[in-house]
Amino acid sequence: MTGDAVKAKNGVMVAYDGQMSFKKMTGGGEGLRGMVTRRLTGEQMAVMEVKGHGTCYFADRASEINLVRLQGEKLYVEADNLLCTEAALRTGTTFTGLRGASQGHGLFTTTVEGSGQAAIISDGPAVVLRVTKQSPLQVDPGAYVAHTGDLRQHFQSGVNFRTFLGEGSGEAFQIRFEGEGLVYVQPSERNTVGGEV
Amino acid sequence: MPFTALNSRMVEARIGPGQRLFSQRGAMLAYRGEVSFTPNIQGGQGGVGSMIGRRIAGEATPLMTVEGTGTVMFGHGGHHVHVVDLTGETLYVEADRLLAFDGSLHQGTMFMGSQGGVMGMVRGQVTGQGLFTTTLKGVGSVAVMAHGGVIELPITPQRPVHVDPQAYVAHRGDVRNKLSTALGWRDMVGRGSGEAFQLELSGQGTVYVQASEEKL
Repeated sequence: MTGDAVKAKNGVMVAYDGQMSFKKMTGGGEGLRGMVTRRLTGEQMAVMEVKGHGTCYFADRASEINLVRLQGEKLYVEADNLLCTEAALRTGTTFTGLRGASQGHGLFTTTVEGSGQAAIISDGPAVVLRVTKQSPLQVDPGAYVAHTGDLRQHFQSGVNFRTFLGEGSGEAFQIRFEGEGLVYVQPSERNTVGGEV
Repeated sequence: MPFTALNSRMVEARIGPGQRLFSQRGAMLAYRGEVSFTPNIQGGQGGVGSMIGRRIAGEATPLMTVEGTGTVMFGHGGHHVHVVDLTGETLYVEADRLLAFDGSLHQGTMFMGSQGGVMGMVRGQVTGQGLFTTTLKGVGSVAVMAHGGVIELPITPQRPVHVDPQAYVAHRGDVRNKLSTALGWRDMVGRGSGEAFQLELSGQGTVYVQASEEKL
């Protein structure tokens, strides 16, 4: 860094050299309106702004880190999975619909927009899967981390009479992605409502 | 159909019509194509008789049948996944370590206590695996979960291998295992090295060892 800034999740700095200052950004650094939206949507992020000259190292709970380079497109990621972004990137919240509830993340998700790099964290190394018009992709809600590109997502369920007999396959819900883009999937499943049935 | 490792913790399986796969319930991460997941009440193959056998032996893990056409990605709990390709021999593995396996493999349950008499019984207790283990026989692939990375150690009649019971994952081939103790007076006075028990594997085959002494 040479005088520019980075936005990062609170408390994820592990080391730095040079001159750094850490400042908590109330409400995710999106102004008053952004703050209110975040509070309302439950996508609160405790964000700090790191400014200065030198190198700063970030890590969180030994999770795997994936770097995503954005060139004007939009990255959809859960607030918990976002580690840090360049200050040039704008963050916001969007409504995701029903699938959020099954993911255990609520109905809203965080978006990152602009040009620059963002770091997302995952439990175990994530794989990037390409979705094209010909090949849609179904993802376990618990293993979904983030996605970019022009993707439509909808929620599908395979609930049938067996599920109610307590003999479900454990794969009752999936998110189906259609369109063009990339999906990040982690090798471990969060505890979700959908994972139980 | 073979499994391809996407990274150390995820495998991908290609599935075609007429083929099927068994996997641990809820271990699917993502899939493409038309694939269906049906819970398998019997916990594997072999009809009701085998099911009862597995229930009694405590080797019944909830499995699901995966059928259709497409590719499926499996992973569970962020554990390391190791792919074992079988060409006619038998793989001995604990049922809860099985992530997914080929539907063409023949699944069975084996009484481990019969190997090595009383020591065989003790072995089950020490390793925390119980007296029974699952066997998979035939031609096909198996994805096995482990805590930490897995190494394969070859066993030859001239060179038996000793493994820490907690780090043991699975073995294959014509292998006899027995528990060997190295209990000395030092252990009695609390100056043990922490390696009082070992699993001695002899014969012809391969043993899979994980990089951790933690169970799944």
